[in-house]
Amino acid sequence: MIWHITKRELYDNLNSLRFALTTVLLFVLMLINAVIHVQEHPERMQKYHDATTASVSALRSRTDLFSIAQEGPGNLYKKPSPLYFCAEGGDIFLPDYAYGISRVQIANNLRAFWSLYYPGAFPNIFNVRPDTVKVDWGFVIGYVLSLITILFTFDSISGERERGTLRLMLSNSVPRHTVLIGKFLGALVSISVPFTFAILMNLSVISVSSDVHLGADVWIRLVIIFIIAILYLCLFIALGLLVSSSVQNSVTSLVILLLTWCVFVIFIPSTFASIASGFSSPMAYDEYFKRRNQNIKELKEEYVALLQETRGFPDKKIQIDSEYLAKGTEQEERLSQEQLTQQIAQIQLARSVTRISPVTLMQHLLEVFVGTGFERHQQFLDNVQRYAREYREFVTDMDRADPNSRHIIGVREGMSQKPVNPESIPAFEDEISLSRDFNAAAIDLFLLILFFVVLMSGTYLRFICVEV
Amino acid sequence: MLSTLIRRELLDNLMTFRFIATVVIMLLLVVANTFVLINDYDQRLEGYNAAVNANHERMQERTTYSSVSISWDVVRPPNLLSIFNVGLDKRLSNEIFVHHGFVPTLWDGQVHGSTNPLLNLFSSIDIVFIFEVVLSLMALIFAYDALAGERERGTLRLVLTHPVSRAKILLAKYISAMMCLLVPLLMSFLLVVILLTTSPIVSLKVDDFLRIGGIVLSSIAYLSIFYLIGLLISVITRRTSTALMLAMFVWGFLVLVYPNVILVLITSAESSQERLVPAFNQIEQIWEEFDRERKDYLANDPIPGEDSHLGVAGGSGFDEIWHKAKSTLLYTYLAISYVNKLDDEFEPRVPHVQNYYRTIVPKTIDAAERAWLVRKQALESVFFRPAIVDRIFLRFSPVGMYDAATQAWAGTDLFGLRDFYEATRKYRRTLIDYLYDKNAFGDRKWFSSDKGAVDWDSSPQFSFQRSDVHVNAKRALPDLLLMLMMNLILFWGIFFVFHRSEV
Repeated sequence: MIWHITKRELYDNLNSLRFALTTVLLFVLMLINAVIHVQEHPERMQKYHDATTASVSALRSRTDLFSIAQEGPGNLYKKPSPLYFCAEGGDIFLPDYAYGISRVQIANNLRAFWSLYYPGAFPNIFNVRPDTVKVDWGFVIGYVLSLITILFTFDSISGERERGTLRLMLSNSVPRHTVLIGKFLGALVSISVPFTFAILMNLSVISVSSDVHLGADVWIRLVIIFIIAILYLCLFIALGLLVSSSVQNSVTSLVILLLTWCVFVIFIPSTFASIASGFSSPMAYDEYFKRRNQNIKELKEEYVALLQETRGFPDKKIQIDSEYLAKGTEQEERLSQEQLTQQIAQIQLARSVTRISPVTLMQHLLEVFVGTGFERHQQFLDNVQRYAREYREFVTDMDRADPNSRHIIGVREGMSQKPVNPESIPAFEDEISLSRDFNAAAIDLFLLILFFVVLMSGTYLRFICVEV
Repeated sequence: MLSTLIRRELLDNLMTFRFIATVVIMLLLVVANTFVLINDYDQRLEGYNAAVNANHERMQERTTYSSVSISWDVVRPPNLLSIFNVGLDKRLSNEIFVHHGFVPTLWDGQVHGSTNPLLNLFSSIDIVFIFEVVLSLMALIFAYDALAGERERGTLRLVLTHPVSRAKILLAKYISAMMCLLVPLLMSFLLVVILLTTSPIVSLKVDDFLRIGGIVLSSIAYLSIFYLIGLLISVITRRTSTALMLAMFVWGFLVLVYPNVILVLITSAESSQERLVPAFNQIEQIWEEFDRERKDYLANDPIPGEDSHLGVAGGSGFDEIWHKAKSTLLYTYLAISYVNKLDDEFEPRVPHVQNYYRTIVPKTIDAAERAWLVRKQALESVFFRPAIVDRIFLRFSPVGMYDAATQAWAGTDLFGLRDFYEATRKYRRTLIDYLYDKNAFGDRKWFSSDKGAVDWDSSPQFSFQRSDVHVNAKRALPDLLLMLMMNLILFWGIFFVFHRSEV
């Protein structure tokens, strides 16, 4: 019986104007998306490749342990995602690199070791072109598809009630929940058919082009993304059915749905983010520089004072040099870490608050599985910090392995003088793992399913008790 | 007769649920966002004041003419009307340094007062954006069944049996619907203005009220376009459900899809970097020529060696920087010296140093000016013109026209921001004139403060006056006219179709 109702819904929809318009719109958007990705992606990969090669070769050009320990690894780049076309995730506003260099001069011949710095991305300072939203899957699913879903469902119950066919149908021996499920499936199938075809067309354009290579694990991710999209679709169908079954006429139903859509999809993400980000104010750049200069000044003064005492004891001077150098490095790294932590905390708060909107949930999920956006950026930063530890360990290990060294890290005379094999210096590898992505996605996925279940049970209860 | 028709329509519309719901939602959105936006403006204003003070302090610390010439930082104040349409106001650089050796442009600025660049991840909205989305949707919902619905119910036939011309019916529908739709629009503007005037940090001037008036006018024109689009759909379709679907898809296309898609499609394939190369080479030549002259001078003057500082104070307290950036055609030479103690043995050299700067600094200014001519042209053609083309394409959707018109009124459009950079260039000229007046280049204080520091109190201060209202109006006028024209065309089209259609 369910199948019967579904089929009827499906036939109704397939002949309608909205189905034709939906199909055209989705195909055009997906085609544009694919063509642009095919054009842009090789460039992006090339840029990443060139940058990493340059930074690795700079790293490998050093042969003595002291300069390796002092200069640091240089620029560390974030690997672009091959699925960039699915969700761009505001990637241009996230810096695509971090760097570890030596910057702090403690005294004339004493420079602190490298430490990690996190640059900010200001892509728009020189950009006079108008603002736009990137046409990626996230946009197509989040905005266009959700609007289409509303247009498919707003009259599915209220329309039948207006025409009187609902009464007719329910006078047969069909349980109400069967009708509801049939309607739900009918809407789901009739929207997901053009959507699926549009996606397949998009993927075939991308995979046919020789410049873009999609590996096996990428296809798994694509399947997950598709499932998320369908789940998001279901949520809006449930919303549509809920409003449609509780309202007497279909125009009212549409007005309510459209206003809800506007508020939740368009306004809440940005308004709530602005409100939430007002609660905390991270360290401003001016303050950062002020504190940094203050720290360095204090360190210098302390060092100079101590240096007076060690005059005539070269061994002691080396000890103090090493100690102050470590201090300088540490405080430098701590400060930039502090700033970064504050910035991330602010963004995370804003992101949690905007989770009230399903479109944000969907976009978070997409970003996580695509490997772009904020979650991915944090993963990149973790990778960078892990690499920094590895790099430092490498230096101490190399030094320890040399019996002739005095094991005073930080001073040229105190360290191993043996040349280092350039190949053995660890290079930065930015990796992403599917299991970690699942962990990051858990909350969003849970919330999305919860929203759906709540809406669906609401619809069920509403439809069971409603008078026809 | 017309008034009867209007009254009937008005009562029909005002009593509906859709009307009340949209008004409530709209007002809620406007109020919530106005608070957020005022708060945001407040923060930016604070950042602006802090930056101005910091620059002032930094300037007081400078003791020589040449060292202060690199810290004449100029800060762009936030635009109050960016609350209505933020445009480029928050985005472009808001701090720029003014120096005699280089002509500042939009591409040389920095961002001050930013606490968290990651916040750009969240899109920001303004009042005009709310209208763009909600008002247009509302107008279409009002319009789609205006004629199709009456036709379906048969009341249209009934009305036409009376001796009423069809034009009158259309006009009555249009006037009454616009009266309804103006209620939420004007109420929202009123609320925003009330919130703005009661807020302690904001002070609105008469000019600002006129600009807001311009924004209201553009909003009405925008609203009317969408109502007429809805009416047109209503006239050409037989059934309300078809009209509704068509209206919604047209809305989705015009508001959601077109503005975002079109810009991606027209992006030129040619890389902007490559087109800048010839200009950069030209600029490089100008500066290399300058450098040759400078070195010639140093080689020929009585002090041996090519030290730019002529050996005064052994080279400490002197910096020489070449700034180059290929991507923005930046190329300049900065020489700063801030000697605070001069040993007696160097005293004989002082006149030579004075002579050197007296000759070289004007040459720097001259080179900067010549490079600017090349640079201006290249930057215009590579960055500015595509941005203008983008905006032309955006205007194929009413959203683009509306956005452009309101930005022009608010002064947050490209031209409004260009005014600021124009002002910085003017400020640079007045500074140079000031330095000439003081005969600063040949002065001992140009490079050394051992015989007293420079007094900065009399130096010209930067102040940025936004363009007058009539300039805003002139910039908004094309878009406003475009919107009016579109209104007329749509109205004429509706009339034409309606006149010939069977009832």
